[in-house]
Amino acid sequence: MVRPTRFEVAEATQSATLVLSIAGELDLNTATELARRVEDGLGRGASRVTLDLSALTFMDSSGLRLLIELDQRAGRDSWELGLIAPKHESASAVLRLTGADLALPFEGPV
Amino acid sequence: MSERERDRLIAELRRALHGSERRFDAIVGSLGDPVTIRDREHHFVYANPAAVAHLGFETWEQLRDTSPSSIMSDYLVWSEDGREISMEDIPSVRILRGERAEPLLIRTVNRITGVQRWNLLKAAPLLDDEGEIEATITIIEEVTQQKRSERGSAFLARASAELSSTLDYEQTLRNVADLAVPHIADWCAVDLLDEDGDRRTVAVAHVDPERLRLAEALREYVPDELDPEQGLGKALLSGEAVLYPEINDEMLVQSALDDRHLELLRSVGFRSALIVPMLIGDRVLGAMTLVSAESVVVFDDIDLALAEQTASRAAVAIENSRLYSERSAIARTLQWDLLPEQLPDIPGYELASIYMPALQTSMVGGDFYDVWAVGGSWMVLVGDVTGKGIEAASLTALVRHTVRTASEFESSPAHLLAFVDRTLKKRATLSVCTAMCLRLDHDEATFAVGGHPLPLCVTADRVRELGEHGPLLGAFADVRWQDFTVKLKPGATLVAYTDGVTDARDDSGERFGAQRLERTLAELVSRPATEVVERLTATLEAFQVGAHADDTAALVLRRLPASELTRDNLPGQDVERTQSITTQA
Repeated sequence: MVRPTRFEVAEATQSATLVLSIAGELDLNTATELARRVEDGLGRGASRVTLDLSALTFMDSSGLRLLIELDQRAGRDSWELGLIAPKHESASAVLRLTGADLALPFEGPV
Repeated sequence: MSERERDRLIAELRRALHGSERRFDAIVGSLGDPVTIRDREHHFVYANPAAVAHLGFETWEQLRDTSPSSIMSDYLVWSEDGREISMEDIPSVRILRGERAEPLLIRTVNRITGVQRWNLLKAAPLLDDEGEIEATITIIEEVTQQKRSERGSAFLARASAELSSTLDYEQTLRNVADLAVPHIADWCAVDLLDEDGDRRTVAVAHVDPERLRLAEALREYVPDELDPEQGLGKALLSGEAVLYPEINDEMLVQSALDDRHLELLRSVGFRSALIVPMLIGDRVLGAMTLVSAESVVVFDDIDLALAEQTASRAAVAIENSRLYSERSAIARTLQWDLLPEQLPDIPGYELASIYMPALQTSMVGGDFYDVWAVGGSWMVLVGDVTGKGIEAASLTALVRHTVRTASEFESSPAHLLAFVDRTLKKRATLSVCTAMCLRLDHDEATFAVGGHPLPLCVTADRVRELGEHGPLLGAFADVRWQDFTVKLKPGATLVAYTDGVTDARDDSGERFGAQRLERTLAELVSRPATEVVERLTATLEAFQVGAHADDTAALVLRRLPASELTRDNLPGQDVERTQSITTQA
């Protein structure tokens, strides 16, 4: 009934930094998958997680909620979260619309 | 073979009959279509090899020595519309009676083998030198494959139309079962499994209602625990289709529990049966049972495939309907309770809303809106809590009641959003919410936006966004919101919506988007709010084929123009300007 969402995660590890490059759409369906990948990385001992969202084509409130959650957890559990802003307007819009562009640890302007 | 070819052939045959036998055989003997010639007493005087085989004989001599009526009695014969066909209706017989005989399409079932066929019979007289009818020639064109596929498709189309006609799936299943008899079976039954795996028969159909009593009597013998190895039990428990091409008396004796049971089974006259599961993925929703009895048809793979397709469409219909009712039930108990039962009448304004809950599993989304009066003002709230289920519902209730209560002593929408923000941050788990909060005083609207799409203002000359974005509620530290004020001209329409509108996705994955929304609204300038809501809903539904992936909500608030005002209206000023009142949150 509901068509599958286009979503891909590429993973790279540099010393203790896990870089997850996400392409496609980050919504209710795919946020769970991304959360799991971050969890796996932290479980393997990563002390810094960078989410490269530059190839993200869409993000909704569920995706945003995950970013906020990760940011809060990073502060609490003392690991570092880094975010690379989406290039696509349809993905970055929700960040500016909600003030997340300023409040979340983005490297550079959104 | 085309009509013209057939006619030419028959003309050829007429000449050939009087020519040499060898020439005749050269023409007819090698034909793929069965050709027979009968004398005035209906006896076969000639049949080509294809006809000998078609009529179930090994040699021409065997066929020649068998009387036509005895051949006929080996078959059940119907016309296309289900009328029984007798010897008198056969074209060659009609010709001998001096009638004109149109080609006749018949469905035959061999009483012994249960094999069904569709044949097109075309006959012509063979005249002697005096012009008297000497014999008749019949060409039998077998069209079984095309007729079965044609009728299968037609049945499937009717069943599908039936299945999509209403969300009352039990009734539609009964209608589909009624459609199945007698076209594809003599009996059709549908059993459903509920959430606990309990089985319930929702439909049993037979052309003759008298015979249905048999089914009721038989049902007493169906055990509560079905045998997972066979029959209905196998279909329901393993999700596998079961085909019993030939049911013989021995099988009935074996499955009978007592003498009366055996008697009942025998009176059904089981010939063949198939049971197909109704599946969604690996999940079995129920099964459809088809039985051939008095029609003596033996089911084959084509019947099985048709039944499986029907069952699969039925499964989708059941699933949709169940999701819908489940969703509606949850929505009724949770979400609708979180929406105002009825929008209030705001003097001088017209108000209408869209609310389309996501039709996805049992998810309760978090879109909400509310409109209420405070003193001489009106408050409008549109929001979206992220999360799902009970959690989203309780969060919605919290936000709505927080704003309602706080609005009794706080008039600034920006302050109200700040208040909600603080309340949300006190919760143990991350609780975030987007909202557009607006206060309406006569012709003046003051509003603040937190992480939510900006409201749109539709006037004669344009559609534009109002105000500026403010941060999401409950998410970030050190944030503030701002109040904006706009004067509403008579006829101006404010549209507040949730991202379900702009995020709606079509088949190709394209989003509805803000531009499409603005274009849609631009065509609805100065239309009544109810019409704006209807058109926007229709546009969205046409855009996103299938279920709404997300909740979708919108409120349309239109200031009535003078021509539509009643004496209850409030006077307004014909100016429109937006001013920013910075408010400390």
